[in-house]
Amino acid sequence: MKDTIDAILKKHIPKEKGNLIPVLQSVQKKEGYISPESVKRISNYFRISRSSIYGIATFYSQFRFNPPGRHSIKICLGTACHVQGGDFILKALQAEIGISPGETTDDMRFDLDRVACLGCCALAPVVMIDNKIHSRMSVIKLKELLNKYE
Amino acid sequence: MNNYKLIKLGKFDESVMNNKTTQNISVKIDGKTVNAPVGTTVLQATQKAGIYIPTLCYLENIKPYGGCRLCIVEIKNMRGYPTACTTPIAQDMEISTKTPELQKLRRDILELVLSEHPYTCLVCRDKNNCNEFMTTTRKVSVTTGCNFCTNNGNCELQELVEYLELTEIKYPWAYKEIKPEKNNPFYDIDYNLCILCGRCVRVCNEVRYSEVLNFVQRGNLVIVGTAFGESQKDAGCEFCGACIDVCPTGSLSEKMGKWVGIPDKSTETTCVFCSVACKMNINTKDNRIVNVGPNPDNRTNPLQLCVRGKFVPGDIMHHPERITTPMLKKENKWIEVSWDEAINFTVNKLEQYRGNQFGIIGSAHESLENNYVLQKFSRKLMKSNNVDILSSFPDKNIIKKIHDYYTHHKPANIDDITNADTIFVIGSQTNLSHPIIENRIRKAAKNGKKVIVANTHDTRTSYFAEQNILYKQGEEHIFLLSLLSVLNNKISGKLSNDLKQEFKNFDIEKAFKRCGVSRQDIEKIAKSLLNSKKSVIIAGDGILINPDSIYNFNALVNIQTILKKPETCKIIFLLNEGNFYGSTIAGLHSDFLPGFDELANKKNIKKWSDNWKTKLNNTKGLSGNEMVNNITEDGITALFVVGDIPAHPNLAKLKFLVQQNMFLTELSEHAHVFFPITGFTETNGHIINLERKLKEITPVTASAKDIKTVWETISNLARVMQEKGFDYKKPEDIFSEINSFIDLSFATEEKAKKEILPIRADVSDKKKKLPVEIIAENNYFNYLGNDLLKLIPDMEDILGEGGSGSSSGSGSGSGSSSGII
Ligand code: SF4
Ligand code: SF4
Ligand code: SF4
Ligand code: SF4
Ligand code: FES
Ligand code: FES
Repeated sequence: MKDTIDAILKKHIPKEKGNLIPVLQSVQKKEGYISPESVKRISNYFRISRSSIYGIATFYSQFRFNPPGRHSIKICLGTACHVQGGDFILKALQAEIGISPGETTDDMRFDLDRVACLGCCALAPVVMIDNKIHSRMSVIKLKELLNKYE
Repeated sequence: MNNYKLIKLGKFDESVMNNKTTQNISVKIDGKTVNAPVGTTVLQATQKAGIYIPTLCYLENIKPYGGCRLCIVEIKNMRGYPTACTTPIAQDMEISTKTPELQKLRRDILELVLSEHPYTCLVCRDKNNCNEFMTTTRKVSVTTGCNFCTNNGNCELQELVEYLELTEIKYPWAYKEIKPEKNNPFYDIDYNLCILCGRCVRVCNEVRYSEVLNFVQRGNLVIVGTAFGESQKDAGCEFCGACIDVCPTGSLSEKMGKWVGIPDKSTETTCVFCSVACKMNINTKDNRIVNVGPNPDNRTNPLQLCVRGKFVPGDIMHHPERITTPMLKKENKWIEVSWDEAINFTVNKLEQYRGNQFGIIGSAHESLENNYVLQKFSRKLMKSNNVDILSSFPDKNIIKKIHDYYTHHKPANIDDITNADTIFVIGSQTNLSHPIIENRIRKAAKNGKKVIVANTHDTRTSYFAEQNILYKQGEEHIFLLSLLSVLNNKISGKLSNDLKQEFKNFDIEKAFKRCGVSRQDIEKIAKSLLNSKKSVIIAGDGILINPDSIYNFNALVNIQTILKKPETCKIIFLLNEGNFYGSTIAGLHSDFLPGFDELANKKNIKKWSDNWKTKLNNTKGLSGNEMVNNITEDGITALFVVGDIPAHPNLAKLKFLVQQNMFLTELSEHAHVFFPITGFTETNGHIINLERKLKEITPVTASAKDIKTVWETISNLARVMQEKGFDYKKPEDIFSEINSFIDLSFATEEKAKKEILPIRADVSDKKKKLPVEIIAENNYFNYLGNDLLKLIPDMEDILGEGGSGSSSGSGSGSGSSSGII
């Protein structure tokens, strides 16, 4: 991993801080996410503090900071889903798999993120797992659903 | 129509307001004509006119942010409502700051800000009663969770609500449900109270250059944070506390004094922990330190301190283990006694130990006045010249070298660092030893100045260096010689020719090898020094606390001397304790009477005998080290120690040991008398810092009634011993006595002396043993010799693990540089 990042960094001039975003993009492409270790290396290379890099990176929705799990859960917290109890589903989900949005389970089974509206508000509340929409979620349905993913 | 030319505000220039050369323009503010220099912002102009504009994100001396929009104004012929903090004035501008329109908009803005902030405390109908009766929280009701909020009164929201007469908030309050962080050393964080003004982020990045805080996440999830939500410490926080000082809410708050209440007094004094001697402001209530923080009248431009100045005073002065009464050791137990009893007992004993068997070891954290009286007591009354301070310098004469240097070279100013174009930092862990110097180095680096850092290991300063040199430990001197030689070869002239002679047999290639720095690197440093218009060399412990310290010193001064324009190069010697120089000039040095008058010179003995109306003993004095090593039947038998000194088996052999300290320490096991001592916030006096400036210490709190200063203790002893010349009533009496004998105005002969100091250009030289045993392991985190890491658990938390605060022996140790690297 060290080498991958160094290879990416080498292509950019350290003085040009504008290269930060392209570097982050390449790292994410190669590694699937931005790890604390990569941020450290990038920080040393560009002499931008880790907090700033993290601040900049979290500003863009394209970057993720946890390794992708085998299955990706996206829970909708848009207005419609919110009104229909999306928060409640999220809490149940968190209790079930033991992680918060932006995290990956230790066994790498799931990663979890929240999104704002998946465009099917009529079916609220909505959860998306690996690009498949599951509509009108309830806590009971959710438990059954999760069992299908290994 | 009048078209204002708006200058785009680039880099904010702090000097603008003070710049007298720029042209003044006049504007009208609320009908009042105000003159201010070009480049002034509307906000600065209004402040100058004494007109108040509410602000939330504004901070003096840093680039305006324009984030909160509370400072909006109306400007004639300008559309919309520009923000005063970002808009520069232009000729004949007509500005209104308080139209009903503006006040309404401001109220709306504040309401929006408060929709994400627990506001019950602000608009509750019972607010006034609450002020009176609910003293445990700042004002928010307990149910809303605001019992996290401190009650120290540092809330600008409350001030704004009052000013804008906001009585009701139409939005429901959205609680952010962020877990408050209470595991950090020294301060708590509750971002539920954060209004995202960005002051902490900007101060951490743009004033302190610690680069710990940033806005993270986006949209309504934005909060202030660190990378991956790691702890402040892991993110490289230096616990300078600057972010707390500027936070307008209770989001960031010191643990100490959190529930003490609103301070009733704010006092300015001087920090004595290191020789920068920062000005500090201490807020107190009922004679207790609430915090060291901004003066309530000047919240947007607080004084900058480091972790020691910010967090130690309160913790140490009100430490639960502090000793507050005199004690005598009876049957191996400490018994509390009255001052009279302790003094009488001590006098009886001291009478038996007059002469060369007696010695005093003081502290360089103590004032000029205290240390002057201390050495006078030893010399005049006890007839002993064995006086010293607990010092980390293996060569006790380095301070004299520095003193002599000052008589020919004006001591550098801290601001010289930012004004220089090359800054060469050598052998220093400035971020730990002198954090405010470090701050200036970083500032210079950020402003594009060339910073060269040389040390045995990477330090946090390396992160800011354009050139980072690592030399081998113990080879500091060879490194300096190599630099001197390379530099000298680029210069011609008499001095340089003399010096070339000295280097005749110097095998430079071997030298490069030995110090582990390549010729290219050294050439590069030499070039930078030669080509810079103004340079500053900063010499730290690695150079000064070193067996070769005197030669290192000489090499550095020679580097300065041979430069084409030595006047434009300055050397800063990083003395550790706040009053190192001052203590020596006060005479607390075995070789020097006050004013650096050599004891070995008979004339000086006569002079000071006359001054003090006595006959002084002319036996050579022993240094602290020598005293401790000489504790024998016919050597040293009695010691008076102010503060603490490191344990040594010899100490058990003392016949009589008096310790005056704040705490019982290992040394106390051997002591017979213990006097409690005031801390620097409890007394007045002076210290002399590394710029050789006289700085005043003012009392902030009164000490408990049975705690006395060194001079009071000594005066009492002298009175009972019926010795004249110690009847001081107040420190001012001592100061005027010192002033009548020594010139404290420190005139410098401006002309730099042009001579080459002796060097020892010998590469073959075997590694030398330390000439003397080091009495104090160099620990920056001590006060009066007491280990702050032991006394303050939070200090241990941030510096523990092998103690990056301490470095010992030759060169600086392997102190880890915690932080961003
Ligand atoms: S205390 Fe830490 S976070 Fe706050 S300004 Fe200082 S370095 Fe930054
Ligand atoms: S923590 Fe305080 S200073 Fe920092 S953004 Fe929040 S309110 Fe402002
Ligand atoms: S910061 Fe604290 S005191 Fe100020 S308004 Fe918020 S809760 Fe109240
Ligand atoms: S830099 Fe030195 S003088 Fe300033 S606050 Fe820190 S310890 Fe005190
Ligand atoms: S709000 Fe959830 S799908 Fe639109
Ligand atoms: S103070 Fe001007 S926008 Fe905040």
